[in-house]
Amino acid sequence: MMLTITTNSFENDVLRADKPVLVDFWAQWCPYCRRIAPAFDKVGEQYADTLIAGKINYDEEPQLIERFGIDTIPTLMLFKSGEVIGSVVAPGSKAAIETFIRETLAQ
Amino acid sequence: MNNNHVYDMLVVGGGPGGYTAALYAARAGLDTVVLEKLSAGGQMALTEQIDNYPGFEDGIDGFSLAEKMQKQAERFGVRSEYAEVLRMDLTAVPKLLETSEGIFRGKTVVLATGADPRTLGVAGEAELVGRGVAYCAACDGMFYKGKTVVVVGGGNSAAADALLLSRVAKKVILVHRRDALRATKIYHEPLEQAENVEFRWNSTVSALLSGDRLTGVRLRDTVTGEESVVDCDGVFVSVGRQPATALAVGQLALDGGGYIVAGETTETSIPGVYAVGDVRTKPLRQVVTAVADGAVAVHMAEKYIVENR
Repeated sequence: MMLTITTNSFENDVLRADKPVLVDFWAQWCPYCRRIAPAFDKVGEQYADTLIAGKINYDEEPQLIERFGIDTIPTLMLFKSGEVIGSVVAPGSKAAIETFIRETLAQ
Repeated sequence: MNNNHVYDMLVVGGGPGGYTAALYAARAGLDTVVLEKLSAGGQMALTEQIDNYPGFEDGIDGFSLAEKMQKQAERFGVRSEYAEVLRMDLTAVPKLLETSEGIFRGKTVVLATGADPRTLGVAGEAELVGRGVAYCAACDGMFYKGKTVVVVGGGNSAAADALLLSRVAKKVILVHRRDALRATKIYHEPLEQAENVEFRWNSTVSALLSGDRLTGVRLRDTVTGEESVVDCDGVFVSVGRQPATALAVGQLALDGGGYIVAGETTETSIPGVYAVGDVRTKPLRQVVTAVADGAVAVHMAEKYIVENR
């Protein structure tokens, strides 16, 4: 079950999470967001021990979109201990998502 | 999945050609896996509406059609892996593919890797993707509401992109290296009538201008050589496609455009390796011609497997 993160739940779900959180900023009308969704879900399952994966809807959470300056979707953002530690726009493959996670967490 | 299992067929690419090959293979009793780096559909998945694939009288969006093709193949036992192929050894017995999810071995390989948008080849282009440079108006057009955009190209997809963007953006400037559109006639009139579309003929993009993001383009007149600057918020590149055949270089015969040489039988220069869909040399690249290739490839592969038992 993929976590849906909202403006209200953001503090608890992301900032105070006990694991790194991988967020997918997406929208229903964004074709590339739909394309990466199955791979993102799969990564969320495979990395369940390492991180929490969740989604933020571009249309429904304008405050979060503004706060993190999201101007292209899909954008994946990785949070750790309440801070953004990296982001990637429109990764081209499941492998690219995994590389982003590994390299960002290793920093 | 790093084991010695040998599939009857490895399908590389989960677009319409790939999943049709997988469907036919599974129904012929072949043990088949589809290796797809992202999700089903390929280029089709980014198409808003497909009206020329028979059987959907109201049209269907590309992503949904892709999902249906995937589910249909999986109903007959096809496996799908989110695997990116990194290296191929197509002459090995069995044939071997090294992927991001381990090694896969198969008696036959169907290459359905499709094509990607061609880039401008201008300095800074890769760095500006997502910050003003885009290749898919249906995907990224929404971000340019009320803004000024440049569309580069003169074919059908450039014309369709310019038309789509003219409904969203404040102004669209169509830049084409020739003095007329190559696009089919149906696009000419609506484009000429759109009040916010401007044409820059005989022009190519010589530089991308940027700060944090794209701020404009420099155009070069192909006749006079004169250069000029156009301020814009985005540039949509629509200058054709290039086949995804980098992994096949040095192993398979490719044509001058980089496409895998294969005729109507889809047979490539290596026995047991088939090329289907946009990646193959062919006169018409459409969903219907890709799915037809998929069926033919399995017909040939079945013969190959029997003969090489």
